[in-house]
Amino acid sequence: MSSTYKSKALGVAIEDITLSFGMTPVLKSVNLTIEPGEFFTFLGPSGSGKSTLLRLIAGFGPAPSSGRVLIGDRDVTHLAPWDRNVGLVFQNYALWPHMTVRKNVAFGLEEHKVPAQEIRERVDAALDLVGLLDLAQRRPSQLSGGQQQRVALARTVVVEPQVLLLDEPLSNLDANLRVQMRREIHDLQRKLGLTTIFVTHDQEEANTVSDRMAVLDDGVIQQVGSPMSLYDEPVNRFVASFLGTANLVDGRVEKTEDGTHFLANDAIRIPVAVAELQPGAHAVALFRPQSLLIREADAPAAQSSARLEGKVVHREFLGSLIRYAVAVGDHTLLVDDSHQTGRECFDMQERVSLHLDRAQVRVLPG
Amino acid sequence: MNFRTKTRLWLAGIGLSVTTALMAPLAALAAEQKLVVVTSYPPDTTETVKKAFEAKHPGIQVEMLKKKTTAGIKYLQETSGNNTSDLFWASAPDAFEVLKGDGLLQKYQVKVSGIPEKVGAFPINDPDGYYKGFAASGYGIMWNTRYLKAKKLPVPGTWAELADPVYHGHVGMSAPSRSGTTHLTVETLLQGKGWEEGWAEWKRIAGNFKTVTERSFGVPDGVNSGQFGVGIVIDFFGLSSKASGFPVDFIYPPVTTLVPANIAIVTNAPHREAASAFIEFLLSPEGQEVLLDPKIRRLPVNPASYAKAPKGFPNPFKDKSIGAAVKFDLQLSKSRYNVINSLFDVMVTYRLDDLRAATKAIQDAEAKAKGKSNANADAMIAEARALVAMVPIDATKASEKEFNAIFKKKRKKATTKVTGRQAEIEQEWDEMVKANYAKARSLAEKAASML
Amino acid sequence: MNALSRGQLGPGVLAVVLGLFLVVFLVVPVAKVIYVAFQDPNTGALTLVNFADFFKTSLFQESFINSLYVAAMSVVLSSIFALPLAYFTTRFNFGGSVIIQTLGIVPLIMPPFVGAVAMALLFGSNGSVNLLLDEWMGFTIPFMEGLNGVIFVESVHYFPFILINLSAALANIDRSMEESAQNLGSSGFRLFRRIVFPLAMPGYIAGASLVFLKVFDDLGTPLLLNINNMLAPQAYLRITSIGISDPMGYVISVILVACSLLALWTSFLAMKGKDYATVQKGGGGLSKRELRGWERVACYTVIIVILLLVLSPHIGLTLLSFGTVWSFSVLPDAFTWAHYATVFETSMQYVNNTLLYAGLAALIDVIFATAIAYIVWRTQLAWRQWLDYAAMGAVAIPGVVIGIGYLRTFYDFNVPFIDKPLATWWVIIVVALAIRRLPYALRACVAALQQVSEALEEAAENLGATKSRTVRRIVVPLMTGGILAGFITSFATASVELSATIMLVSAESDAPLAYGIYEFMQSASGRGPGAALGIIAVVIVGVATYLSHLFIERRREAHAPEIAVPAGA
Repeated sequence: MSSTYKSKALGVAIEDITLSFGMTPVLKSVNLTIEPGEFFTFLGPSGSGKSTLLRLIAGFGPAPSSGRVLIGDRDVTHLAPWDRNVGLVFQNYALWPHMTVRKNVAFGLEEHKVPAQEIRERVDAALDLVGLLDLAQRRPSQLSGGQQQRVALARTVVVEPQVLLLDEPLSNLDANLRVQMRREIHDLQRKLGLTTIFVTHDQEEANTVSDRMAVLDDGVIQQVGSPMSLYDEPVNRFVASFLGTANLVDGRVEKTEDGTHFLANDAIRIPVAVAELQPGAHAVALFRPQSLLIREADAPAAQSSARLEGKVVHREFLGSLIRYAVAVGDHTLLVDDSHQTGRECFDMQERVSLHLDRAQVRVLPG
Repeated sequence: MNFRTKTRLWLAGIGLSVTTALMAPLAALAAEQKLVVVTSYPPDTTETVKKAFEAKHPGIQVEMLKKKTTAGIKYLQETSGNNTSDLFWASAPDAFEVLKGDGLLQKYQVKVSGIPEKVGAFPINDPDGYYKGFAASGYGIMWNTRYLKAKKLPVPGTWAELADPVYHGHVGMSAPSRSGTTHLTVETLLQGKGWEEGWAEWKRIAGNFKTVTERSFGVPDGVNSGQFGVGIVIDFFGLSSKASGFPVDFIYPPVTTLVPANIAIVTNAPHREAASAFIEFLLSPEGQEVLLDPKIRRLPVNPASYAKAPKGFPNPFKDKSIGAAVKFDLQLSKSRYNVINSLFDVMVTYRLDDLRAATKAIQDAEAKAKGKSNANADAMIAEARALVAMVPIDATKASEKEFNAIFKKKRKKATTKVTGRQAEIEQEWDEMVKANYAKARSLAEKAASML
Repeated sequence: MNALSRGQLGPGVLAVVLGLFLVVFLVVPVAKVIYVAFQDPNTGALTLVNFADFFKTSLFQESFINSLYVAAMSVVLSSIFALPLAYFTTRFNFGGSVIIQTLGIVPLIMPPFVGAVAMALLFGSNGSVNLLLDEWMGFTIPFMEGLNGVIFVESVHYFPFILINLSAALANIDRSMEESAQNLGSSGFRLFRRIVFPLAMPGYIAGASLVFLKVFDDLGTPLLLNINNMLAPQAYLRITSIGISDPMGYVISVILVACSLLALWTSFLAMKGKDYATVQKGGGGLSKRELRGWERVACYTVIIVILLLVLSPHIGLTLLSFGTVWSFSVLPDAFTWAHYATVFETSMQYVNNTLLYAGLAALIDVIFATAIAYIVWRTQLAWRQWLDYAAMGAVAIPGVVIGIGYLRTFYDFNVPFIDKPLATWWVIIVVALAIRRLPYALRACVAALQQVSEALEEAAENLGATKSRTVRRIVVPLMTGGILAGFITSFATASVELSATIMLVSAESDAPLAYGIYEFMQSASGRGPGAALGIIAVVIVGVATYLSHLFIERRREAHAPEIAVPAGA
């Protein structure tokens, strides 16, 4: 069945969608293009509008007040859900408790009036694909969470939808299963070559599976790009802090003869490589905890690095690394130091120096 | 106000209202002398009489306890161990006979004078002195004038006319087992025409029934609302319906019995004084005139009261044709009371559909046979008639003491020997009756096909 | 064991008290009636011969089949009434959903025999509808002939049981259940048939089995329509007939009870094997959608026709209460206020009595139901399930049996101070009503209790509250909505009950409304006032129900956590 998909994979275009629940705006002029065969993720905190956007593609929820949704070349904005041929996997799987696994999976094919013999074959193939052929006669309540998830997937892909939509499909699973399932979903998507849109609030999930992703907040798309580019080059404070841990320092840019610097109070002065910002302009400096090197108070810094001085105020052991909170002036910066057996760590209240490579610093307009 | 205070207030409120509620009826009880009357009469009658009585005896509060005659007897029987009722006030003398037989009534000597011995052929008072007649009633036929006009039906005048095919599906009656007065009508016709012919005539009439009502009031109710056109009812139902404005009328057919409607004091009545005051009032000229009220319309037993009756009101003391044709034998009636009820139920009430179908087939065959001479067909029709008319037991058996005992509620002595059970016997009857009706129907249909 | 002596002493004592109440006022009276069925009518010895007679008698066989037929057909017709109302109002956005739901429940608050009177006038062979049909079309429809009439009247009266349960079940279906089917290409009626209805099945079966039970046991309707060959009327006729020693009435009572219990058990079994729990996260309730032009017209037409049918008793009764003479005509001859005047002058005691009796009975019901629910679901007492079984068993006991049982059991018991038999004291009517309506209140309270997470109780106990204080301060307040719902159901249905009370009313001043109406309906000039009293009853019970609803809504808003607490999990 995989071959049939690759040739058919269609893109999704969302054009200037605005949507409200009553008086509350939920999506504000959203524009997005999802390529055929792409694994695309909507990432955002709860209430950001990501699920609403996904359900909009499937045809659920209120109609948008403006804009349109295209699947391939087809405008589906005003089509009924059952006429869209997009597959939606629900957060709670929505398996029908009164039907067996086989009946659940066969349902969509029956609705599409597929001949009985073909239904049997395709259901078997789909269940085989998710490894549940043995459990076909069980009821959903007799399955584990991961198995229910697989049934939901099989039920959705068996009808060969043009687009596969996944609404936080892993949120009801425990941590180990979650990692395993996301791999399975990813493999399945690769195998089928289906254009897939995945909704999650978990950045790790998003990073591991997505070709590209869109970060949403407050009904607005903040940034679109590959997981790494979003992590490395966030365009704003929200994206920066939502993806991974970040030190965000408010300050301003200063140009002197020895180059451009970012300044925050008196304690922080970092040479930076950006020229776009006007001197004196309010700015935010962003750098990740692992970009800071923590050293003895008197250790000298490398040529390309800025040197900051501070005092350890908090320490957490996280296994592979130790996370320090270091007070620098009236800022507190997070520093990750990789952990090795036998290596000594800094004590609370100990004075330390922090070294920061200027290439790791990103300055955003304030 | 916090939750606890609120809850307490609430509970206190409930407590208070419960206590008040509990006390209220008590207070009423203590304040006045209360007379409890078990009666089968509708509020139209009871309220009017009650009002008049209470106006005369302000110290006594009358409590009307409405029960169907049959349920009233049952009630008095069930509660006899701890009786709270004073009077039993209903129509059918048989009901009083049953209570008398069970020792549930006490004797009473009336003080009012001027009431004759008999109305029609029926003694007004119980010869043994237990119950007193206060009004006369006779069974008759009532009809809905709009209904008869719309369906182009003639006005019936006699019982026999009700058997006419034109009335098929237009007649209603109550079951004798459900209504004491209906029982009397059935018994009257049986006594008037004899056991065999009496039943034959009842079945000819019943073959035209639209329904057998569960309550005696179901009949006037059905005629009043036009559910069926003709009803076999006791006079006051017909007269009071007419007086209430319904487009109905009523007549006494020649074969009817005027029987007194009665009142009696219950054994161990808690308020004997008040009870006797009520009886005296009811029989006094004042009380008798209340019966002429348009909502009541009963025939007073005091002939003098008819002076105040409206024009056209039947007066049995003058018009000797009313209720004089049959001399009602109360002892005979009593001897087979339950057997008649059970027979009627088995043959008519519970087999009405079969009876109706057989009757219809016979009526159709007879209509076809009219003017033709086909001896074979005529014989088959006659046989069908005979099959329908057949009664499982004869008159002697019906009055047999041992046989009646099977249907009795309470055995006087544990040693009384009874063989057979009511259900067993009724099933036997039913089997025969059902087979007869089915056979009659097929015979009649066959006869019709030959014509 | 230690826990039992410490934490369960209070509930234990309470359970014993409740158990005693149920034994004295339910088990013993019913047993007294049932016992007769096993007595040889001639010798008084214990025997099964009466049952043999029952099954040998063709009349009883027919009655049995008729009762089954009528009950089954009533379920079918009730479903036809209830399904569109439940479906349209829970699935679509349109004006008047609340009104439709409310109107749909109104039939329950009228005694069925009153409905039968009104419906005979409208749908009888010479009723308004058939008179018009005959005049315009030249034919009539036998709506009310024979068993048809019973089925029609019963369905109109009892269909709200299906409506209420089905609506609740539909409202509880998780939205994603429906959306996932739509996503897979299903829509419209197929979607309803394959997904929505099967998921609402528990509610439907609960309602349908209740309808079946009530119709199977109902006495007043067949009697009023003069249908004798059904089980309940046969039992009644045989038990109340003049001085007849017929044990068959009691045998039929036993068979009625047995069949009712069987029906309950079957519906219980039918649901047991299947896991229909759709307690999941996500948007609760089906999504409502707007209707398009012609759909709106079609929906409203269906709803209006159904409402006209199910409200026909009320329409007929209203006409009757204002009509002067209504005989063999489409409408009454003229209209008048006189009947209402008569009622206000003479019969307000019925109204007061009813409010008192039904109010007290419903109060007893919710108190007992809350206690039983708590004991059964939150304690480990041995035998606790039997409290539940016994209280629910009352639903299977016909009113006549309770009535006769009370007369037999309590006639010889003189109430101290009052000095009259308990069976004739008005309080016995309250007890009978309370026993008969306890199952309704109990189900409401159990449902409410199950929605209160045990963690909330544990939190209170952890903070030092004793068991009884926890119940009073945490459990009961959180159950308020359910308790009030139970109160309303008990109150509204108790106000119109007749079958048990008719046997227990021993003085007119103690009589409730239904009895008063019944009595009025027994005379030619009483039809109008009887109808007026019926309308007053409907209005009073309706207003009381509505006010309680308002109160529930207020409480619900004030106790928002009630909804936020996850069920069970």
